[in-house]
Amino acid sequence: MRQLCLFVLLVGPILAADYKPPKTAWGDPDLQGTWTSDDTRGVPMERDTKLGERRYLTEQELAAREKQVQQGQERLLNPGNNASPARAQAEALAAGTPVTNAGNGRGVDIAPAPSHWVEAARRASHATSQVIDPPDGRIPALTPEAQKRLAAKNELRRARPASWENWSAYDRCITRGVAGSILPVIYGNGLEIHQGPGQVAIVYEMVHDHRIIPISTAANPIQHADAKIKSYIGDAIGHWEGSTLVVETTNFIGGVLAVGVNGDGGPPYSDQLKLTEKFTRTAANSIDFEMTVNDPGTYVKPWTVAFPITQEPGYEIFEYACHEGNHAIPNSLSAARAEDAADAKKK
Amino acid sequence: MKQFLLGVGMAIGIAAPIWAHHAFAAEFDVNKPLILKGTVTEMEWINPHAWIHIDVKGADGTVTNWMIEAGAPNGLLRRGFTKASLPKGTDIVVEGWQAKDGSNRANGSNITFPDGKKLFVGSSGTGAPFDPDRDKK
Repeated sequence: MRQLCLFVLLVGPILAADYKPPKTAWGDPDLQGTWTSDDTRGVPMERDTKLGERRYLTEQELAAREKQVQQGQERLLNPGNNASPARAQAEALAAGTPVTNAGNGRGVDIAPAPSHWVEAARRASHATSQVIDPPDGRIPALTPEAQKRLAAKNELRRARPASWENWSAYDRCITRGVAGSILPVIYGNGLEIHQGPGQVAIVYEMVHDHRIIPISTAANPIQHADAKIKSYIGDAIGHWEGSTLVVETTNFIGGVLAVGVNGDGGPPYSDQLKLTEKFTRTAANSIDFEMTVNDPGTYVKPWTVAFPITQEPGYEIFEYACHEGNHAIPNSLSAARAEDAADAKKK
Repeated sequence: MKQFLLGVGMAIGIAAPIWAHHAFAAEFDVNKPLILKGTVTEMEWINPHAWIHIDVKGADGTVTNWMIEAGAPNGLLRRGFTKASLPKGTDIVVEGWQAKDGSNRANGSNITFPDGKKLFVGSSGTGAPFDPDRDKK
């Protein structure tokens, strides 16, 4: 228990203002390493409206979150009675208590959820929300076009699946996009930053999206690619503002990915999207990450999220074998067709 | 996942469905719990789930290779599971659920060594039966 408490350090508004990040051999601030957004697990994307414009938790609220973080740690390290659910079930079955598990009409059983292994924060964040601007911590209203895109996407995800098109680009192992690759999810929240003279590269843990970001300087200004050239990961150009790496990304394919978890939470963005990310190293093991979303085709005004990414001992980027052992889509499709057949029989 | 639902639900005013790739329910059968005694032949440290391969000797002496799905590698490392935890030839007992297609694959929840020591490969929050967090989804 004492060991657990030691892990629960505070993250938030207390920054080491006098911290000077190390420099690379060619003189740029050094951001290299393996980082993770795990510590923002448990911080809601949008702020509870009751909290108004209050960006940080009170001491009392923080104590409650610290308790949650401790519980997450304890559950990871000592699963207790839940250590052997399959054995418990096997014993229940042997005693004549079968577990029934109905379908949801979409080719998927209702009970088990996909969160097979849930990462938890190591430290309690002070933040009341991931969104820091607008000041109320809420994502701005959607444009009418975005509402239509969102409704169409939700219909696809809700419907009994008819084809691979019912699944997101993430489910299909294609990409989670730029924002979806760093917003914290159940696991796989790691990223690696590599630097070379005039270049920064970012490799993400889940789905292995990667970006090569050229650094623009006064002496060597770099322009975005022609607007006709578009991709899921966009065209990124970086520059340094003091010790902050600023990355502006444009030239996105619109109508597919969203600025949300796994690139699928919220409305698909338009091809007008511009993302501005800021990476500021505030300690040996912490970078302040900030991302401004400017997409007049989707949101009525820009908005910004902010959270730290941290280096953790032993954290590694392993191969992401997305397709291996992934039978969810063919299984769900065949189950959906079986449900179709069962429905037809009932009529 | 709860956080995902909360975030998206608040952002767009509806609850998004819970289903995704590598979903337990799309791949494994909650009505087929099993307990396998076998010998480790390989461990694959890959995302999003590590896989443990074991040889299981049947009552008639035939040996069958099973693949056991475990948690995400960084989750395993954080839990104290290391790359040296399961060397080839280690005898283990695995508890889990068999794949829906009837193949020799299972979602693992727990490993026991001959000396009784346990290595936990599944997780609270799996949504699997008897998960105390299952109803919170």
